[in-house]
This record gives sequence, structure tokens and C-alpha cells, in this order.
Amino acid sequence: MAAPMALKRELFSLGRVLRRVSNLGPRALGACSPHIQCYKIRSLLPLASSTSFHTSTVLPSTPSTITVTEEPDTLFQRVKVLVKGHDRAVLDSYEIFATMAANELGVTQNKVYEPPKVMERLTLLKSIHIFKNHRVQYEMRTHYRCIELFNLTGCTAQVYLEYIQRNLPEGVAMEVTKIAMEKVPDHIKEPMWEEQPVEDKPSQ
Amino acid sequence: MAAASLSTRSAMLLSALARSGSLCSPSGSRALHVTAVCCKNHAARVRVGKGDKPVTYEQAHPPHYIGHRKGWLSLHTSNLKGEDGAAERTIEDVFIRRFMFGTFHGCLANEVVIKRRGNMLTVCALMLQKLPPLKFYFLIGYSETLLSHFYKCPVKLEIQTLQDKAVYKYL
Repeated sequence: MAAPMALKRELFSLGRVLRRVSNLGPRALGACSPHIQCYKIRSLLPLASSTSFHTSTVLPSTPSTITVTEEPDTLFQRVKVLVKGHDRAVLDSYEIFATMAANELGVTQNKVYEPPKVMERLTLLKSIHIFKNHRVQYEMRTHYRCIELFNLTGCTAQVYLEYIQRNLPEGVAMEVTKIAMEKVPDHIKEPMWEEQPVEDKPSQ
Repeated sequence: MAAASLSTRSAMLLSALARSGSLCSPSGSRALHVTAVCCKNHAARVRVGKGDKPVTYEQAHPPHYIGHRKGWLSLHTSNLKGEDGAAERTIEDVFIRRFMFGTFHGCLANEVVIKRRGNMLTVCALMLQKLPPLKFYFLIGYSETLLSHFYKCPVKLEIQTLQDKAVYKYL
């Protein structure tokens, strides 16, 4: 498993390299980006000299435009992000990444906790025919991690969630719960019996 | 199969002895007590041999080390609690592994790792340097286009080549 782990590390570093390259200006560097990638790959790889690496070129996405609207932004009282995965170490590193991203975006109030893991167990017959006394047990572990952010605006929430979801590792699932705050509607601000006492008289 | 044949033989032996025991002396006879063969676990294990069999890290560790000393070969979310689609992902994985084994015949150094991220399917493999690089690139492009047409999603192949298989120990 050592070689695929090294491969995973290289893939992450390659991902970082490609993101840097794409940030520089994809259209201008379109022709020479493969060469830049290859050069950077060779300098990063600490492996034996006779290994070669191939990766298909990542097509850069169009940058999203900033829109300014007159309507007021939605306010979120709570944004709850629940991540589930099979590997606890992956969730640990993802939690560090998410909290760092939240701090950078200015969301200071956050709570991170770990709900208890859930194990789904199966007991099956070991043999295809008879031998009822010999069984095999399998279990599937689901680890959870909950990141709660408090008091953020709609724009911040949108940006944060998009960033988080683009960098979700493979094998990890996410559920997002948002609790928004709305202004109290005008027609229920004051109690009805104080406003119109005239209406009570006809009923009597 | 060996277990089944042994158990049937033991059953026949027991019945024969019971018959012989009842004939010679009904009381005070010693019979042969036989149980069904204790089935040993053979799943994903390489049996210890003379010491001349090279074995990779993946093959050397039995499946109870998954999550402790081993990682997962196929990474997707359908086996988590509350997620569905496990059967479809498994069938896709099996097909992809057979496809890779057949396309890069004799070149695979280790098991194929399949990762799913959003809509994208990433197939990571370690290869031996048996073919010239031009043929490798052609096969990589061919597999990518074919698999993306089969599964209607972007498929990327991440290949790394080695001189020889990475041997962990000799069993």
C-alpha cells in the first residue's frame, strides 16, 4: 500500500500545482501548460529515477463573475455541515481544512464535534452449501464529523460551501443543514385584540 | 472442496465404525469421534511457503488489516450509512478492474485503485515498463474514452510506471 499512498500524495501535490497553473491565466498559457506541469512534476517526485508519470490535462473552468444586487442578503443563524466517511484520519484532515477556511473567510464562531461512529454488522454463512456452524462476520464503520458555523451571511455561506464541496475527498459524503433568519412579517407584529376593538361589538 | 470431501469421508468413516461397533459389542466400545472440518479462512490471504514467493504489501496483509494497515482499493460513498447505490458501484468496479487487467495485459504491478469524486471516476494504477511509452499513451487514451462513453461520466487514468514489482516480503 506504500506505493499507492505515495501516488495519492503526488496526486494531491499535482492537484495543487494544476490549480496554481490554472490561476495564472489558463487562456494565455494554454499552449505551454503541459510542459509546465511536466517540469513541476519531475521536481516534486522524490522517487527512483526510472519512473514516469502521465496525467491528462485538467480543463480550467470559466471564472465566476461577481454580481451586485439591491435585495438584502439572507442571514443564516446556523449552518451545519455533517461529513461522513469510512476513514477517521481523512475526516480529521478535512476538519482542519474546513475550520481553516472558515477562519480565513471571517467566520469566527464555529463548533466542531464528533458524533459517535455507527457500525453496521453482517453475519453470513462462510460456505456456499451447508456448514451452518461456520460463519463470517463483516462490519461497515461510518465515522461522523460535525462542523457548525454561526451567524453568517448568504454570500459567505455560498462561497464557503462551494469551496468545501469542491475539495471533498473521495469516499466522504456531506450533508448540509442551513437555518436562516427571517424578518418577522408586519401583520403579526402587534396582537390583533389591541388594534381593532370595534369588531367585538357586533358579535355581542 | 477439500473440506467438503474430508467431511463426507469422515461421515462415512463414522457410520462404518458405528455399524461395526454395534455388531461386536453394544456396550463399552470405543468409537471414533469426528467433527466437521474446522474451516480455515482463505480470503485474500497468501499462504506461507518456502520463502521464494515475492509478495506486495497489498497481498501480504489479510483483510482484517483493512482500515488499520491497509487502505481501501475502491473509494466511494455508497457503503456509508444512509447512502445507496452500493451494488451499481461494485459492478462498475469489477468491470473496470477486468478491463484494466485485459487492456494492459501483463503490465499491472499492483491492484487498481478506483476513486469517485462528484461525477468523476479516477482510475489509478501502477504499471511495469513492458511496453514502449507511445503504446502506453495510446492505451491510456483508448481506455479513458471507452470508459467515459460506457459510464457517461469523465474518466481519468493516473498511471505510474515502475521497473519491477514493489516486493514487500517473500513468503
